[in-house]
Amino acid sequence: MTGVELTDVSVTFDGVPAIESVSLSIAEGEFFTLVGPSGCGKTTTLRTVAGFETPDAGVVEISGRDVAGVPPEDRNVGVVFQNYALFPHMSVRENVAYGLRYRDPPGDVSDEERVTNLLELVDMAGMGDRDPEELSGGQQQRIALARALAPGPEVLLLDEPLSALDAQLRERLRVVIRDLQQELGITTIYVTHDQAEALAISDRVAVMHGGRVEQIGPPEDIYREPATRFVAEFIGDNNLLEGTVVSTNPPKVRLSAADSHQETIIPVDSLPAASEHVTLSIRPEDVRLGDESAPITLSATVETVEFLGDTYRVHCRWNGQSLLVTYAGDSAPAETVTLGIDPEDVAVVGGKKP
Amino acid sequence: MSRWVERAALPVGVVATIATLAVVFYYPVGSVFAQAVLDAGRPTTGPLVAILSDPFYTGVAHHLFVDPLGIPAGVFEWITSGFPSVALGRFGFTAYQAALSTIASVVLGLPGAYVLARYDFWGRRTLKSLTIVPFVLPSIMVAVGFLAMFGRTGLLNDLLGMVGLGPIELVFTLKIIVLAHAFYNAPLVTRLVTTAWESVDRRQVESARAMGASPLAAFRDVVLPAILPSLLTAALLTFVFTFMSFPIVLALGGLEHATVEVWIYARVQSLDLGEAATLATLETVISLALMYLYLRYEARQRSTAGAGQSLPRKSLTVGWRTLRSPVRLAIAGYGIVAAIVFVGPLLSLLIESVTAPDGSLTTAYYEFLLAQQASSAVGTTRPLPAIVNSLVYGAGTLVLAVPMGIVVAIVATRGGRGSRLAEALLTAPLAVSGIIVGLGLLQTMVFGTVLFGYRLTAAGPIAIIFAHAAAAYPFVTRNVAPALGGLDSRYRDAARSLGATRLRALLEIELPLIAAAVLAGAAFAFAISVGEFDSTVLLAEGVDGYTMPVALERYVGNRSLGPNLGPATAMGTVLLAITSLSFVAIDRLGGRWEP
Repeated sequence: MTGVELTDVSVTFDGVPAIESVSLSIAEGEFFTLVGPSGCGKTTTLRTVAGFETPDAGVVEISGRDVAGVPPEDRNVGVVFQNYALFPHMSVRENVAYGLRYRDPPGDVSDEERVTNLLELVDMAGMGDRDPEELSGGQQQRIALARALAPGPEVLLLDEPLSALDAQLRERLRVVIRDLQQELGITTIYVTHDQAEALAISDRVAVMHGGRVEQIGPPEDIYREPATRFVAEFIGDNNLLEGTVVSTNPPKVRLSAADSHQETIIPVDSLPAASEHVTLSIRPEDVRLGDESAPITLSATVETVEFLGDTYRVHCRWNGQSLLVTYAGDSAPAETVTLGIDPEDVAVVGGKKP
Repeated sequence: MSRWVERAALPVGVVATIATLAVVFYYPVGSVFAQAVLDAGRPTTGPLVAILSDPFYTGVAHHLFVDPLGIPAGVFEWITSGFPSVALGRFGFTAYQAALSTIASVVLGLPGAYVLARYDFWGRRTLKSLTIVPFVLPSIMVAVGFLAMFGRTGLLNDLLGMVGLGPIELVFTLKIIVLAHAFYNAPLVTRLVTTAWESVDRRQVESARAMGASPLAAFRDVVLPAILPSLLTAALLTFVFTFMSFPIVLALGGLEHATVEVWIYARVQSLDLGEAATLATLETVISLALMYLYLRYEARQRSTAGAGQSLPRKSLTVGWRTLRSPVRLAIAGYGIVAAIVFVGPLLSLLIESVTAPDGSLTTAYYEFLLAQQASSAVGTTRPLPAIVNSLVYGAGTLVLAVPMGIVVAIVATRGGRGSRLAEALLTAPLAVSGIIVGLGLLQTMVFGTVLFGYRLTAAGPIAIIFAHAAAAYPFVTRNVAPALGGLDSRYRDAARSLGATRLRALLEIELPLIAAAVLAGAAFAFAISVGEFDSTVLLAEGVDGYTMPVALERYVGNRSLGPNLGPATAMGTVLLAITSLSFVAIDRLGGRWEP
């Protein structure tokens, strides 16, 4: 059964399209993340599910029910906002209890007990009488989560819930959110601009760009097989190389501007239809510095080396192109290096018609 | 079911607000205009042309309408007559006094902005928030205050007399009108310019200085461009307000210095409603045009507001060295002038109400009020009913104006076409004078309107409350809209996602969070109602529904205790006390309303 389904949904603001024919099918109990740069339409998509924006076209369904014309208060969704939006004139307990004025969640628990349980669930027991302003950012975040969950929503929507926190707390709290989601088994849509966060906690990820969905898939697929040039560049560090198609069956690509004495014909899985030039991507950790026995070897010069603790980030130059390489050696590499590439690690992320 | 009602509440509120405005404002005012341009249902320009071609109204400009082709001759005549002797006509004089008043307000208000924005001193914040007060003081009371200070037997002449000078005669001169207008509008200049000056980012000035600009050059290049728009805005608003000014001119200038507004009143008094309507139409065309200019200009400069660190303030007093600082001495001089202009009239009102012409203390004027109260003669203006009426109208105004103001604020902050419409709805009452609203209500409500064969009439008091609500709701909106707009919309979204309807989110989350602004708006609405004179004086005519300001005006003309202001100053003091008390009361109540 689907938790949330969007079919060809478009939203425009004053004639300017914010999202264009977005289609998503989110399973019940799934942790689904919308990721993309600011202005990509991810928050608009979330707000459309919540009922704060009205689609110009398309259908939004929650638990198989078309919610067109259903106002936000009747959608039975819980929303956690970017800056939490805790009501400053109410105590923590009153904030969490607010939704219980209007909704009666299933179960035989009194409202008061339910609030107490939720505060325990988010590890905030005993903080009920505080004012939201007295709490730290991380604590406010937990209260916002408890408040959204209190009325027992069918769907939990989180709009950049961690972006106001510092890096360490962000990493800790995303685990809290993921654990809670697993425990409750609630269908969750999570919006973030942080691709690492998206990969870390999601069952599936949709990468959005310019109001459209570029790719949907499990984090591993998104990372390893980016469907478009944008996804390849936005998710993680990547190297993009231009290539020329030399044969279509079997599909083979020659790296452009290659030296004649180096083998740079790369067999690939598939090619975009009728393309002459293609863009290839390869992750820095898949480029093996010093591997002379790899199927493809490139001779490159080292330009800059950054020490990251567990690895080195090496900026190399090969044939006028820069290549980022992750190197796990004990000391910084020499000036001239051999880079080994396995064709299996190369993905075709876009084609250009002749 | 109840959710259905809640959901309908806001749209119904919007419709109800528009309907109320139509009944209390647009229809009455429209009927006044219709009278000027319609003759038995047919459009006519007759009355308008009659006014425009009458030199009494348009001065030398009447040639334009009498004989458009003869303009060269008209201009020749205009030049040969010499500028000072140019006959201005009522319209020309109205514009002339408004221009002088604007200049005076800027001259008096600008140094205040400089001091408030650039100097730090004890009471600075209080002083800045006090700049709003003159705006809501009943204008007829201020006029009496000015009479008490600058009149023939006023405080100034009393003081001059003690040192063997005077007396000086200021009443019924243009000077005192301009001065009283400055009393009202200089604080407006001060407030708007101070706000702009404080929003100048100090880093911009510091960047200019770092790039080699002298302090003066930095002021010219950075600060001046930032404050000039707000200065022009304030000047334009002052011009509009003083162009339409009524009680000040009526009480301090008399018919000799009558502006168009006063003349409309005079026409209504002599029951020449047709000419009054035509004059009202012409005046409104002018004031609406000015208001339109103002809105266009204000909209363009709104985007310049930025969040930055404001310029550092200097200490106003620096010990003994204060006396050697020319700028600080000049500020002290300005402070004295400001104290005379702003505090003087109110203080004079209090002093004159307990001082006999020979300078001795007296309670005769308050005894006069009590005697008036006890009198059984028909047509006596009694103080107690005036007080009660004012408070009742004030309460009635609150009931109407606060919800209306909040509804308009919601529409205004929603953005889009509705918001622009709300802005127009909101500003129109500011550009239509109270006299015209009063005249319209008199004609439509009090005299009655025939609808579906029934003659509908409303009693004077109802019409008065309507007129007050029309005048007061923009002040509620002006207070509530910025607060509502500044409130994070996610509070509302959060409440709605938790199951609250739009109305519940408004009542339980948004309004409690901006309670202070709502209360401030309510306090303004109340003060506007209590001080309203322009339309009340028309609607209370021959009715026992007179208010404190109307009673005050009647006492100004009352010479039963000899040629002095005594009874008026006593009534003025009562009005001042009740105005202040109601402010304090609302403030206290507000303290308890807060969660």
